[in-house]
Amino acid sequence: MVNATRGLLISCDIPMAQFIISMNNSKPSNQKFIIHVLDDTHLFVQPHATEMIRIAIAEFREANTYEKPA
Amino acid sequence: MGIHGEKSRHSKKHKSSKDDHHRVTEDGNAYFAAEDFDDDRIPEGEPKKRDFTKLELKPDHLNRPLWACADGRIFLETFSPLYKQAYDFLIAIAEPVCRPESMHEYNLTPHSLYAAVSVGLETETIITVLNKLSKTKLPKEMIDFIHGSTANYGKVKLVLKKNRYFIESPFPEVLKKLLKDEVIGKARISAEVVHGADGFTVSKSLNELGGGHDDLLSEAELAAAAEEKDTHAFEIDPVQVENVKQRCLPNALNYPMLEEYDFRNDTVNPDLDMELKPHAQPRPYQEKSLSKMFGNGRARSGIIVLPCGAGKSLVGVSAACRIKKSCLCLATNAVSVDQWAFQFKLWSTIRDDHICRFTSDSKERFRGNVGVVVTTYNMVAFGGKRSEESEKIIEEIRNREWGLLLMDEVHVVPAHMFRKVISITKSHCKLGLTATLVREDERITDLNFLIGPKLYEANWLDLVKSGFIANVQCAEVWCPMTKEFFAEYLKKENSKKKQALYVMNPNKFRACEFLIRFHERERGDKIIVFADNLFALTEYAMKLRKPMIYGATSHVERTKILEAFKTSKDVNTIFLSKVGDNSIDIPEANVIIQISSHAGSRRQEAQRLGRILRAKGRLEDRLAGGKEEYNAFFYSLVSTDTQEMYYSTKRQQFLIDQGYSFKVITSLPPPDCGAELSYNKLQEQMDLLRKVLSAGDDAVGLEMLEEDADEVALMKARRSSGSMSVMSGANGMVYMEYSTGHKRLVKSKPKDPSKRHYLFKKRFT
Repeated sequence: MVNATRGLLISCDIPMAQFIISMNNSKPSNQKFIIHVLDDTHLFVQPHATEMIRIAIAEFREANTYEKPA
Repeated sequence: MGIHGEKSRHSKKHKSSKDDHHRVTEDGNAYFAAEDFDDDRIPEGEPKKRDFTKLELKPDHLNRPLWACADGRIFLETFSPLYKQAYDFLIAIAEPVCRPESMHEYNLTPHSLYAAVSVGLETETIITVLNKLSKTKLPKEMIDFIHGSTANYGKVKLVLKKNRYFIESPFPEVLKKLLKDEVIGKARISAEVVHGADGFTVSKSLNELGGGHDDLLSEAELAAAAEEKDTHAFEIDPVQVENVKQRCLPNALNYPMLEEYDFRNDTVNPDLDMELKPHAQPRPYQEKSLSKMFGNGRARSGIIVLPCGAGKSLVGVSAACRIKKSCLCLATNAVSVDQWAFQFKLWSTIRDDHICRFTSDSKERFRGNVGVVVTTYNMVAFGGKRSEESEKIIEEIRNREWGLLLMDEVHVVPAHMFRKVISITKSHCKLGLTATLVREDERITDLNFLIGPKLYEANWLDLVKSGFIANVQCAEVWCPMTKEFFAEYLKKENSKKKQALYVMNPNKFRACEFLIRFHERERGDKIIVFADNLFALTEYAMKLRKPMIYGATSHVERTKILEAFKTSKDVNTIFLSKVGDNSIDIPEANVIIQISSHAGSRRQEAQRLGRILRAKGRLEDRLAGGKEEYNAFFYSLVSTDTQEMYYSTKRQQFLIDQGYSFKVITSLPPPDCGAELSYNKLQEQMDLLRKVLSAGDDAVGLEMLEEDADEVALMKARRSSGSMSVMSGANGMVYMEYSTGHKRLVKSKPKDPSKRHYLFKKRFT
């Protein structure tokens, strides 16, 4: 029997996939959002997680970017 | 420079938004470009503050080279025919902020104006020349600022004449004001005979010979400058000099004193017989910096800023040759002490028995009553017990009156050590030399008062263009983290190992190995690899079978390795830890690969670049369009998506401000030659990962050297100090992991007072 789940496909580079996976791992089990890790660069996640992932990645990248003080 | 800085930042950000391929697909049809994450808006309020459209353009503005803005910033067009003159003038009055190829940004600060006054420029001269060069009418704010800042600076001079300290000023009213101060009033030694009403000694002062600006001054100004001025002076008690100086600082009376040394009329201290050898030909910028120092026939204290490899030592030796008195030369470590001693012998006619080195390894006694002593800051400032022999030498240094105190690499020495050195040694004139007048802890301003103002600062790009220093191609090599390393990097429990993880990133190792191979085999270059992280340094050096030098390497071994690197055809690559940052002179090297660095230290980046700046090859090849436009390479290997990206950008700021640009390389090693490099197989990578993870936290930390105290400001949380276990060799890695966890548990329990034994309850509550 085929089981259909609505979700979101994320394709990204290897480190970012690891970042999202580690994010997922840090959540309690009822909040885990990754449905399936397809391969190194593709993840299938629950659709409601989009915004959260986006914010987390933005923050992460912000932390690693140096802005010259004006 | 504002505009440029903005630009480079943008492009940087743009490049770093490599998440282009990082798209989120919703049900397979909608794309969100990652650019949405970027927030590049200009902070609010900023555009308004920097709107200068109201400034009035002069009709002939095309012929004038600079823009002066009300907030103290000055922009200079380097393509203007007047550029050279304008540059010489601006460098004297303003602080260079950013100097890329065609537009320079300068900033007027109280300190820079202090420096200007100290080399003999007057307030009115500054304003008129600035006005002449500016495309717009000088904003009133700027004129007020110059007036305000220079009103008191440089009006008072502290002069040491025949071993008596005098306070000199052309303005008797200023001296009167100073004498009203209690401390200064007490320090005064009254002259027996009263000259005139004020009791000040009056003498004619020499004309200022300020080089370089004359062509800019109109005849009227020249005439004004040529007019002889009366100088008034009173004598102060030598014991009180320090207190008097302090009273004159801006936070008290606000009459900072200039210190000058009238060495020609100093008959008390014996002359040292040394001349520059005829083959020592100072280059134009070296001449210029010296002329700032000896502008009016006396020697001024101050700092000269020249890029590494531009010949700072020749400037130092020339200064010593002009003063011709005993000279104390301070360097940062034993290797550079040897190099300084060598430079003195190379450039000057000093007799061998007049120069001696004083380090922990070689304690040469001072013979005769005059000479040059080369030693380290640590030797002089050392507070603990010394050996009998060095105690004697220190005593001699202390008792002697030095004509010149020559201080190399002044930026590395913390303020308290300076105070100590300066209090121990009595010197008439202090000259500081450095390439990078930046510190992360902002203590650079202290130098203004401890040594003196900045006398000269050279423009890096101009020196590159005229072939005096090497033209360096800077590149940032982006190495993506491997999956396994990044997963570990993200784990919270590895927070202390983050650095080790991104430094040991196998992709980085491969890029490094590739670069070494390429430069060794294809170009026959000499390569220095820098790693701050000792763990990484050893791993890399062992794996690639190359010699390495770090803090614990003995002086003898260092010299041996450096010698082999210089002469042997088989040793083309050496690995250096932080010890190689400053003043190890390795003129042969022309490639630097930086695999790990000290957080965001701009100074370190510049100093490391300096190791390869010494010009090589023939001059005509080096000039633009010559055979080899780039003959030196600076690679900084960075693991993407890690903290290193942040630090790397921050580190580059100083060099970017000097006009350098960094090229980003993303695909190293090239895919077709990956197989022959190390860590090609996943298994090897995993072994490496295990090794990194099992190493103790302290083992993967940074190397600590006594020399640099700049650290603290940078490292705060990330520093981990070395432990006994490392030194004893009992580095029980696995146990350590457990024990740290356990200890905390055990310790936390008894903190609850209710659970304590009743006997101990009282004690702790």
